Amino acid sequence: MLEIVLTREDANTEFALLAEWLVADRAEVEQGQPVCVVETTKATVEVEAPGAGTIVQLYEEGVEVELGKVVARIAETAEELASLESGAEAAPPTRKPDGGERKATRKAVELAERHRVDLSAIDKRGFVTEKDVEALIARQAVDAGASERPLLAGISTERVTLPALCDSPEGDGVLEPSFLEYLLTDPASFRALGSEEKCRLLRENGASIGDGVVLGEGSLVAAPRIVLEDGVELGARATVRCEEVVAIGSLTRFGPDLELLCRRAFVGAGVWGGRSVRFGGGGHRDPWAVLAVGDLAFVGDEAFVNVCRPVLIGREVFLTMRTLIVTHNIGHSVLEGFENRFAPVVLEDRAQVGLGAVVYAGCRIGAEAIIASGSYVTADVPAGAFAIGVPAKVTGSSSHKLSPPRRAELAGRILDDLHELLALRGHEPTALEEGEPRGFEIDGVRVLFTPSFREAVPGPAVVLTLDAVAEPPEGVAVLDLVARRVLGNGGEVLEAARELCRKRGIRFEPGPWRYRGGLL
Amino acid sequence: MTVSREKRCVQVLNEALHELFAARDDVHLLGEDVLDPYGGAFKVTQGLSDAYPGRVLTTPISEASLFGVAAGMALRGRRPILEIMFGDFIALGFDQIVNGIAKFREMYDDQVTVPLVVRTPMGGRRGYGPTHSQSLEKLLLGVPNVVVVALGECHDLEGLLVAAVEDDRPVFLIENKLMYGRPNRRPEDGHVGELAVRETGSPYPALTFSGTDFTEASATIVTYGGMLPVALDAVTELILEHEVFCEVVALSQLLPLDLEPVLESVARTGALVTAEEGTLTGGFGAEIAARMQELAWGDLRAPVRRVAARDGIIPSARALEDAMLPSAEDVVEAVAALEGVRS
Repeated sequence: MLEIVLTREDANTEFALLAEWLVADRAEVEQGQPVCVVETTKATVEVEAPGAGTIVQLYEEGVEVELGKVVARIAETAEELASLESGAEAAPPTRKPDGGERKATRKAVELAERHRVDLSAIDKRGFVTEKDVEALIARQAVDAGASERPLLAGISTERVTLPALCDSPEGDGVLEPSFLEYLLTDPASFRALGSEEKCRLLRENGASIGDGVVLGEGSLVAAPRIVLEDGVELGARATVRCEEVVAIGSLTRFGPDLELLCRRAFVGAGVWGGRSVRFGGGGHRDPWAVLAVGDLAFVGDEAFVNVCRPVLIGREVFLTMRTLIVTHNIGHSVLEGFENRFAPVVLEDRAQVGLGAVVYAGCRIGAEAIIASGSYVTADVPAGAFAIGVPAKVTGSSSHKLSPPRRAELAGRILDDLHELLALRGHEPTALEEGEPRGFEIDGVRVLFTPSFREAVPGPAVVLTLDAVAEPPEGVAVLDLVARRVLGNGGEVLEAARELCRKRGIRFEPGPWRYRGGLL
Repeated sequence: MTVSREKRCVQVLNEALHELFAARDDVHLLGEDVLDPYGGAFKVTQGLSDAYPGRVLTTPISEASLFGVAAGMALRGRRPILEIMFGDFIALGFDQIVNGIAKFREMYDDQVTVPLVVRTPMGGRRGYGPTHSQSLEKLLLGVPNVVVVALGECHDLEGLLVAAVEDDRPVFLIENKLMYGRPNRRPEDGHVGELAVRETGSPYPALTFSGTDFTEASATIVTYGGMLPVALDAVTELILEHEVFCEVVALSQLLPLDLEPVLESVARTGALVTAEEGTLTGGFGAEIAARMQELAWGDLRAPVRRVAARDGIIPSARALEDAMLPSAEDVVEAVAALEGVRS
């Protein structure tokens, strides 16, 4: 075996540049054949092969090599080559870091990671910037058929369950133009009417008003198209005025002093709204002022949602007290370099926004993410994240994984809490004897917990379970706490159990549902 | 084989010399140690003396006489190319340059020309110490009637060499030691890597690089020669890490100074950084800053910033040399320090 060594040519040089390999790695070389070019002070020299054989290069060209080092070996036999190739030294030559490969900016890479988009989908000459990724995200949202609904184009509705009413037929609830004219020109006289009278007039003039709708004292509902499903309740002094349509799903209720102003409002079923909730603000008449609130969402007291660009709120989203969502800013001239932002806000299904938190225009809160109280959200928050601070930073996950035993323990506690609460309410629940399934009895109805409901129990009974396998027999109701389903009928005791579960964050299908009072 | 797709600059220059010698009988080359098989310290002239014996003259170590002999050949209608092994040694020829070569044509009322080309490598970053690492081209910038052209690794090296030989004025071709070993990254399809490039049409063209296809940008960096890759590294870092886009203007003609491409770029960007490897005081950047405030005061929203070597002697120790010479970080900092940079 032969070695190619970089010899020291003069006293004041310690390194030389291995400028160029003149032969390929593993090439056959002849004795005396120039194999590489080396640059040292005042000299660029060709280094010749000391003998014939297969060259094994140890350095990449373009690197500086300490003089005296072996830069390549020449294997004179196949055995020598094999032993060289199995040795650690024959690992591929040290490569210079290749700076020329990366073409996406840090901001672009981060945004792509947040939105889980593939940068290779951007076909572009030149650098890939944040703007390119934003365009890709918008394009993919459209490609995904995200929204064929006009004005929502470019907004992904992935993981956003919009209320069914968004697709209610255009002909539904169209108000007589003359009646709309009356509502808009003399709202005071309409406000002065009683709830039943208001519902009757609206219905007679084309609005679609369901059974049991309650329009509070002093309230006004005015829009070219009005759909209020069964059991909708709007509190005293509510003002609902939409430029095109307002549609509110069954059993949705808002407390007093609701203000709902925008171009098109679709509020799902079973939404619970507190007092002094406001939707609207600057730009609420804009063509893009579209509001969608998913089924079972919660909107706390004094929450304010600015709607001048689409605001999509998914199913079971919590906007707690004084949540503030804005879709535009206000300020100085964009031509002087000030930001001038108009952008939609999306809260994916089951996202939660804490007390007094602010969500800035253009942000998307991922499914089941939690924004801590008082936070200021200026960037997208990924699904399942817990974000806190000003500006909000992701610090962890919004939930943690439960082991099956722990889950069973927590579910059992719901049964115990129900038992205790019923007792505190002055009822007389009595504990059953030790055994499976465990539980108590109240008013002749047994309330039981079993991790898996497989075999029929004698009725009447209400069974809490984590896994409803069997169909309940007559007289037995089953609450599947994991699949969140109610099976069978169970009267007042079932209603009480369902209400307690609601307070633990468990909402059941079929819904929407509202506790009408009773044992609790 | 691990050879890059692009030819190394030294190879491009070597082939260009061979073609020039084949095309023109009046071209000669003079220099120290330029004969084969050694072929010159940096191998730019390799193979030339074997191919054209008699037209390649190896000379004693006396730059003053070398300049004198070459000037005489040029006065008599030859097209000599003078290789000065290290740019530092042009100092030895300065009397010939300043009092002879630059002046003959005017002193003799246009009856003679001095079509002389001086090729010499400048620049450090190789640990060659105080007298083999300098960038002295700025000493030529005040000399009337000579042309100073700096070769950068993205320029058309053959085109510059041919233009210099065909020029009737004395031309200094400033080469760079690190550039020799680097690939000649010519624009392909209007791009070098991810950067769009425009090239002016003059005999000694300037290249303007843009990361935004010449739309918006925050600043212009004007540079040349061995600082070009440093400036491009800085621009790439500014884009990738900060989304701050700058244009780079890589001049080749440093004297007479043609600022048209710089003015054009600054009209788009509104701010200017100069970057050179020579020392700061009285340098390329100083001259450009002075001219730009006269010509483009209305376009500049911040003072021109200069990036250059510290005013001092280049140390032999590599770490100290690195601290002395301007780096990509220095360019990034200069851009970041510009008041009003849009990010």
